[in-house]
Amino acid sequence: MAMDQVHDLQQVYRKILHSMSHPGTISNLEPFAEKVDYDLPCYEATFLSAMTLLDAEVTFAIISENSQQLSTKLTAYTLAKSAPIHEADYIIVLQDALQQDIVEALQQCKIGNLIDPQFSSTWFLESSGIVNQAELLLTGPGIKDETELQIGLTKELWTTRNKRVKEYPLGIDLICLDNEANLVCVPRTTKIEILEVV
Amino acid sequence: MMTATHFAFFDEGSKKEIRRATLKAVAIPGYQVPFASREMPIARGWGTGGLQLTLSLIGTQDTLKVIDQGADESVNAVSIKKLVQETTGVDLTEQTEAATLIQSRHRIPEVTLTEDQILVLQVPTPEPLRKVEAREYVTKRLHAEDEYSGAWLMLFEQIMKYGKTATGADHPVFVNHRYVMAPSPIPRFDNPKMHQSEALILLGAGREKKIYAIPPYTDVASLAFEDYPFTVESFAGQHCHLCGAEDVFLDELIDEATGETYYQCNDTSYCMGRLNSGERQEVVHNHV
Repeated sequence: MAMDQVHDLQQVYRKILHSMSHPGTISNLEPFAEKVDYDLPCYEATFLSAMTLLDAEVTFAIISENSQQLSTKLTAYTLAKSAPIHEADYIIVLQDALQQDIVEALQQCKIGNLIDPQFSSTWFLESSGIVNQAELLLTGPGIKDETELQIGLTKELWTTRNKRVKEYPLGIDLICLDNEANLVCVPRTTKIEILEVV
Repeated sequence: MMTATHFAFFDEGSKKEIRRATLKAVAIPGYQVPFASREMPIARGWGTGGLQLTLSLIGTQDTLKVIDQGADESVNAVSIKKLVQETTGVDLTEQTEAATLIQSRHRIPEVTLTEDQILVLQVPTPEPLRKVEAREYVTKRLHAEDEYSGAWLMLFEQIMKYGKTATGADHPVFVNHRYVMAPSPIPRFDNPKMHQSEALILLGAGREKKIYAIPPYTDVASLAFEDYPFTVESFAGQHCHLCGAEDVFLDELIDEATGETYYQCNDTSYCMGRLNSGERQEVVHNHV
């Protein structure tokens, strides 16, 4: 069965919203991911998130060894245009992205300005697996007491992210996705403490 | 000829734009995110901001409750409910516990909301500093610079004039230790319900084209001075003349014949629920 762009994407949006308002809470997009019958070099969950939020009014940048194919398809499906990393509204990091490239992009991407902090980039970050285990300790708005989270990204990446959100309300909001269609959000308000060396 | 409207009235492009603004609003609690407020089939200032949020959120699996100053059956609530139901076919409810989505004008329900519910509040004036500064260009900079003397001065002047902070409703709050925010014209009685709320609270101002949010478990403090602490409306010694409830927000009514003052629950579904459960107990007590 094909994906329903009205009803399925509405439910995907609600899952993203739930996870964004409860940082560290894992939502699952499996029922919708099953319906994605496109041949794409990204996770189904990544594609669903892009379909939910991208349109002609926004731009995206893809960080991957082989970004051209996905870039062409995303533009065709959503009418969003690709842009350089320092201008892109959405930054899509695929599983095969090089560590060095991700860190560089984190340093270059938009974080908004004090008058308009919403002019910041939102990240779709593909990871090897998302579970609620001790690796990162999350605290902040949306979290009752604290939450443990393991996303399978390197320590360097989190320290770079922490540097970029230091000057609140400036910062970036992350939507992390894995191959099992799990989704977890880490908005700029979330304080991340790295519990062990990754 | 009537043509069928698209699901939830909006085209998908409009929903996407509102959804993007909403996610940014959740990520920056209390900050007013501008959005391209659409023309709606109700007039601006009649809940278009809340309605647009509701339409961008709602799906076939949702159960909707709409209230207007605590009442499920007032004109504004009913027309919004009808519009949403006709374009989506969702279930409607008056019971707070049964709703997944609650759109409200000027009240937060008496029943504590849960993590699985979203409260949408309609906002006429989203800018808490508007009374001290008319220019949007300037208020945006005041927020950027964390410069809230204006808001404090407003309260200070009230104390000088009336001996207490005299905000009737819409008493400004401080969200996540950063932004001063207008909580929409809810009574002061409801302000504390926003602090560490379990439910996500979204606020929409259609005419002013702003969306803002309070995520769950977020610190929300009502502005107050050390020597003039924040107080809520007091109904000490009063109770609802229908269900007898105390410790809820009461409407003051006057009996036209006798001139006597009496009180009634402002949240009609809460009052109805209490009356019904009382009735059931009575039936069980008398007939079983």
